Amino acid sequence: MDPLTAPLEFAIALESGLVGQSAVDHYWLSADYWDLSIPLYLFLAVVAGGGVLTGATAPVLARLLGSADGRLEGELARWGFLVGVVSAAGAGLAVLSHLAVILRAVLFPIYLTNFESWITIGTWILVGLSVIATVCLVFRLFGAKAAAAEGASLFPRAIVGKLGLLELADRLVDRFRPPAVVMGGLYAAGSLLAIATIYTGFELSIVETVPLWNMPVAVPLAFLFSGLAAGIGLTVGLTLVFERRLEPIIGAYAAMVGLLSGLGLAAVWYGWSVLTASDAPAAAASQVALTNGTLAAGSWLVVFGLAVASVVGLLVGALALTGRSGDGTDRLAGPALIGSFGLLLLGSLALRIILLLAAEQNPVVVVG
Amino acid sequence: MGEQWMFYFDPNRCIGCHACSVACKQRHDRDADADEWRSVFHVSTGEYPEFEEVPVSMSCMHCHDAPCESVCPPDAIIKRDEDGIVTVDRDRCIGCHYCAWACPFGAPTYDDEGLMSKCNLCLGEGAGGGHGQPERKTPEEGGVQPACVSDCVGDAIKAGPQSEVMAEASDRAAERFEDGAYDQRVIVEPVDDDAAVAEAIREGESTAGAVTYEG
Repeated sequence: MDPLTAPLEFAIALESGLVGQSAVDHYWLSADYWDLSIPLYLFLAVVAGGGVLTGATAPVLARLLGSADGRLEGELARWGFLVGVVSAAGAGLAVLSHLAVILRAVLFPIYLTNFESWITIGTWILVGLSVIATVCLVFRLFGAKAAAAEGASLFPRAIVGKLGLLELADRLVDRFRPPAVVMGGLYAAGSLLAIATIYTGFELSIVETVPLWNMPVAVPLAFLFSGLAAGIGLTVGLTLVFERRLEPIIGAYAAMVGLLSGLGLAAVWYGWSVLTASDAPAAAASQVALTNGTLAAGSWLVVFGLAVASVVGLLVGALALTGRSGDGTDRLAGPALIGSFGLLLLGSLALRIILLLAAEQNPVVVVG
Repeated sequence: MGEQWMFYFDPNRCIGCHACSVACKQRHDRDADADEWRSVFHVSTGEYPEFEEVPVSMSCMHCHDAPCESVCPPDAIIKRDEDGIVTVDRDRCIGCHYCAWACPFGAPTYDDEGLMSKCNLCLGEGAGGGHGQPERKTPEEGGVQPACVSDCVGDAIKAGPQSEVMAEASDRAAERFEDGAYDQRVIVEPVDDDAAVAEAIREGESTAGAVTYEG
């Protein structure tokens, strides 16, 4: 029987036999587990990065591509920062819900002092990203310019208005709005922190006991590319739901999502090839777990989600960027983008979940 | 920096009685159903009539490179300079479980509070009991023997400064350790089959006290 397609128990027994020929024996125990809040955290942190990246780059792309009016650029930027704020908050709540002593984590500047730990580094990155996303969102949502703007992404203004604080918010934002160069600096810092969400991959890849994670190139890149693609895709999808215009700026982001999804798929494929070539018994166990039973469906969802988003994003992106989209293609391309990016979100989340669950069936070393 | 303390384990002398894990729970006043700081596993290989079972006793190995320490965000895990024992400051632990993933031996356990606790080589008693304690002393210097060591009926577990433990290991175990077995985190005697033991006895080699009831 092929050990790669055999039931997990059989493969483990077989692999144990193989290892028995070496100088050191291993035995198999169920590993510790992290609940599903952890993959959710690992996912949302990078999605937040994708949203902020979209919001920060929208003005530059709009200038480069000569956007017809400022409305689409404004919508993309606001939805981007909104995705950033909500996802970062979700990531924070997800990770906090997992901890035993939440207060100590909330007091992270005092307690998280080990800067060799990716959790410490990641906390600072996520907090920095959240602060920048919130500041940028506030300056996009309020003030005289925002008051004159239109678009679904301005819905928080209505909420603030219901509280009777809209006028005050507009006045304060106009009064304290920093000069363009400072906003540019914030956008640049936000973009850098968005890319720094690659830390989520390093959190797993430094764990030497789990061969499935211990791939310092494949896992961080797969997390970064798939997560940023999901964040940008979510922003573009939200914009398209309300705007339904396939302008070049939408095409540019669609192509970016397609490219990032393709790169994410390549990183996943590279990681898979490293895993299957590994002689480590734990690698074989993870491989069997990923190709059998429930997790196999998740594995296919990852491949399918990234592949479809890559093809649709690049295709529609090329059409929109080259100006070949018309009424007919617009009617098809918009829903196609939204649907494929929705699938991408599921696939990107599934990537984190299956990486966690396949490692849950990972053995630890027992001396003997 | 003092000499690294470490564990030695001889599966050939272990009879799988679990006295070590029970002694550990008693010394540290832990509930009977609490997760074990020292566990005994029965590793079986082969099928009848080739079936073989080897008991294995494991705990925190107080690794020289302590992967749990480097990943712990709040610096709650401390690799002590004076004796190399890895202790836990539970007043800093946030209960993230990162150490459990990093540990190659599955040593960290989590209680009802969600905080980490593990073997402290009987440096102190109870969860987090080793934290802040003075340098570990050998029984000859007036220190207590770890409970698992003193209660092991087959002398399968030893603990102490590396040089002392190495001196008691067989040549094969020492050689394997020097070659990097288990990343030099613990000294383990190779599991002998009876034929290998018989051969070793005939050749006059040390067998490190292999237990056998045949031949």
